[in-house]
Amino acid sequence: MAEPAYTVASDSETTGEEKTYTLPEIAIGIDIGTSQCSIAVWNGSRVELLKNTRNQKIMRSYVTFKDDIPSGGVSSQLSHEGELLSGATVFNMKRLIGRVDTDPVVHASKNLPFLVQTLDIGVRPFIAALVNNMWRSTTPEEVLAIFLVELRALAEAQLKRPIRNVVLTIPVSFSRFQLTRIERACAMAGLHVLRLMPEPTAVALLYAQHQQQASHENMGSGSEKIALIFNMGAGYCDVAVTATAGGVSQIKALARSTIGGEDLLQNMMRHLLPDSENIFKSHGVKEIESMALLRVATQDAIHRLSSDNNVQVDVDLGNGVKISKVVDREEFEEVNRSVFEKCESLIIQCLQDARVEVEDVNDVIIVGGCSYIPRVKNLVTNICKVKELYKGMNPLEAAVCGAAVEGAVASGINDPFGNLDLLTIQATPLAIGIRADGNNFVPVIPRNTTMPARKELVFTTVHDNQTEALILVYEGEGNKAEENHLLGYFKIMGIPAAPKGVPEINVCMDIDAANVLRVLAGVVMPGSRQPAVPVMEVRMPTVEDGHGWCAEALNRNYGATLDLVTIQKKA
Amino acid sequence: MSLLTSSCYLLPWSKPAQIHGYLNFSKHSKLLRQECTTVRCCSSRSWQTPRAQHNYYELLGVSADSNAQEIREAYRKLQKQHHPDIVGQKGHKYTLLLNEAYEVLMKDDLRRKYDESINQMRIRLGENNTPLGNSTWKGPLRPQALFVDENACIGCRECVYHASNTFIMDEARGCARVKVQYGDTDQNIEVSIESCPVNCIYWVKREELAVLEFLIQPQPKAGYGVFGGGWERPANIFTAAESFKKQLRRQAT
Repeated sequence: MAEPAYTVASDSETTGEEKTYTLPEIAIGIDIGTSQCSIAVWNGSRVELLKNTRNQKIMRSYVTFKDDIPSGGVSSQLSHEGELLSGATVFNMKRLIGRVDTDPVVHASKNLPFLVQTLDIGVRPFIAALVNNMWRSTTPEEVLAIFLVELRALAEAQLKRPIRNVVLTIPVSFSRFQLTRIERACAMAGLHVLRLMPEPTAVALLYAQHQQQASHENMGSGSEKIALIFNMGAGYCDVAVTATAGGVSQIKALARSTIGGEDLLQNMMRHLLPDSENIFKSHGVKEIESMALLRVATQDAIHRLSSDNNVQVDVDLGNGVKISKVVDREEFEEVNRSVFEKCESLIIQCLQDARVEVEDVNDVIIVGGCSYIPRVKNLVTNICKVKELYKGMNPLEAAVCGAAVEGAVASGINDPFGNLDLLTIQATPLAIGIRADGNNFVPVIPRNTTMPARKELVFTTVHDNQTEALILVYEGEGNKAEENHLLGYFKIMGIPAAPKGVPEINVCMDIDAANVLRVLAGVVMPGSRQPAVPVMEVRMPTVEDGHGWCAEALNRNYGATLDLVTIQKKA
Repeated sequence: MSLLTSSCYLLPWSKPAQIHGYLNFSKHSKLLRQECTTVRCCSSRSWQTPRAQHNYYELLGVSADSNAQEIREAYRKLQKQHHPDIVGQKGHKYTLLLNEAYEVLMKDDLRRKYDESINQMRIRLGENNTPLGNSTWKGPLRPQALFVDENACIGCRECVYHASNTFIMDEARGCARVKVQYGDTDQNIEVSIESCPVNCIYWVKREELAVLEFLIQPQPKAGYGVFGGGWERPANIFTAAESFKKQLRRQAT
């Protein structure tokens, strides 16, 4: 009864010579990491990583502003380390995009060797690169766009066709607002986002493909396998638990955090030079240079600590500050103890959310730049009680390969050998809900709900003859509304006059497979089957900037006059 | 206008014969496509009862007693045919239904509630099970249910006179049986039980009801040439139910 679920339009069409590039456009996969990026495409039979002119598959994510034309790490011929010193190079944009200047992650970025200025009022931070002794302002979107343009040019030159559709990998913890910023950057680069794929789910798709191929070879039916994917890059740490069978990867749970190699690096820099933050505060040309020197030396030390037990750090930061120190691995692990503890708790939480026992995990996959750190490997194997990690995936290439596979699947490409007979069933990484019951966040779609998802809750008015109700849509995990991320708001008007608690306000949220969120709200009076006023449908997020301000202003103007409370479900 | 009315229209295969096989969806796909381009609003859903709109088992193409593994496989198979990543936006609605069905059926407590709401016991009732003999429920489920031991019933119709919405006379078998649980007021039901001259109306546990109603139906008897044949049912329905359950348990282990 094992019929292939895929169909091959016609054998003569798909077999034979390389016809890939004449097929309907295959979306390419791009992984823009905090520190590194790569681009890959399904070439008709397998995933192929594209190389730049310097024959690199993995490129550094940075943009150098010089004279008039900024250049990124894809095309630039100069050494990254040297340019760091001048203050003209901007990087780590994935940590800054879509964040406001009250965000701790933005504050932690202030000792990067370029300008990150905060006013702490909930607006976007000011970012600038030093060009010819002038601070030239830029935005994370612009930097990413410059970068994407270079990647696009690279792909177009190699594939000899215009590139439009892309699948991008993103950290699990990105809010919907941050996703719109990524989309904006892509639009600036002339790219259309087909899917934004959380990094571990891209890896999960690649794993599903591996399993599918293995079961084809063994002629087995391919029983269900549960995999835990731990992905730690420079900026983010994500965990996913996925159940895979027959080419379908079903994401059971996701866990996320904004910790990564950058935190390890900063902790280490602080360890080597305890007063570094104050020394670098003024952001003068000299300070930037020493800041960059320290960064390069520390990064180098951390890399070497992955293979050596201790390393000698010798760096002259200028201004009479010299560091000469031997750092051993225990020291490094002790300095970053809290980071590693956070990693552990993420894995435990993800397993709990997925309702999976450690013993049931078949494969443990660890990817991302930090996967080379022995302590990271150890903590994952210890918690998952496995001796060996999954082999057969390049930790730095897995995410982009998964994105390329998804690009082919979502473009409707068929593979005669069933290599694209795949599907990822995604889950929502964050809860989405509205403010109700006072200042509480009431999730309508809980975290880890299978997508596409549609859920609804019924609310009611809190005042007699309340004719209007304010719907504030938030995303996050906090219990209080303001601990979450405001996505948008709208007002329901024309609620028929009735005592409090009588009108039923129905809030429905719909997320489709492309992760587009729609919020619908309608009013029904008891005894009626039809909505009392036209139902409102709003595509979110609608809030552009200054989320904190919006919520405060709404609160100041309306207080609790337009509030709602949840109607308890009748059991 | 609504998701649910449209999906009832989409999923018209409620014949019991089709429950066990996988569904042939191709002939409905045209309907599906039409629906999904025009419909977006979901708002009328909550002012209809959320359950009982579709049969989740039928949607997934699994039998009501299928285990988690079977449900999971069916779910993935259907997802692969209808997920928007594969068929585009038109798969959105169907996938939503699949997700809803899967969520309910994969959680034991939700599934139990759902099973109760569709009044379907998860036991294997054999192939020649006709739904004719089963009673339905009026109002919420209660722990106790009514059951007529048709072996003892003399067909006096006393109970049908007193509680005509609850009991029905089965003319073919010549005895009364329960049509609707709690179809009349508690008082009328009490009177009809009292009035039975042979005391063949019993209060039974709700969980037992499905087995009892299944076993009380006459089954064809194996014939040996000119001897035997015809119909039979257990002489003592309650002991038969006990041994039937024991048998089920043994099969399960």
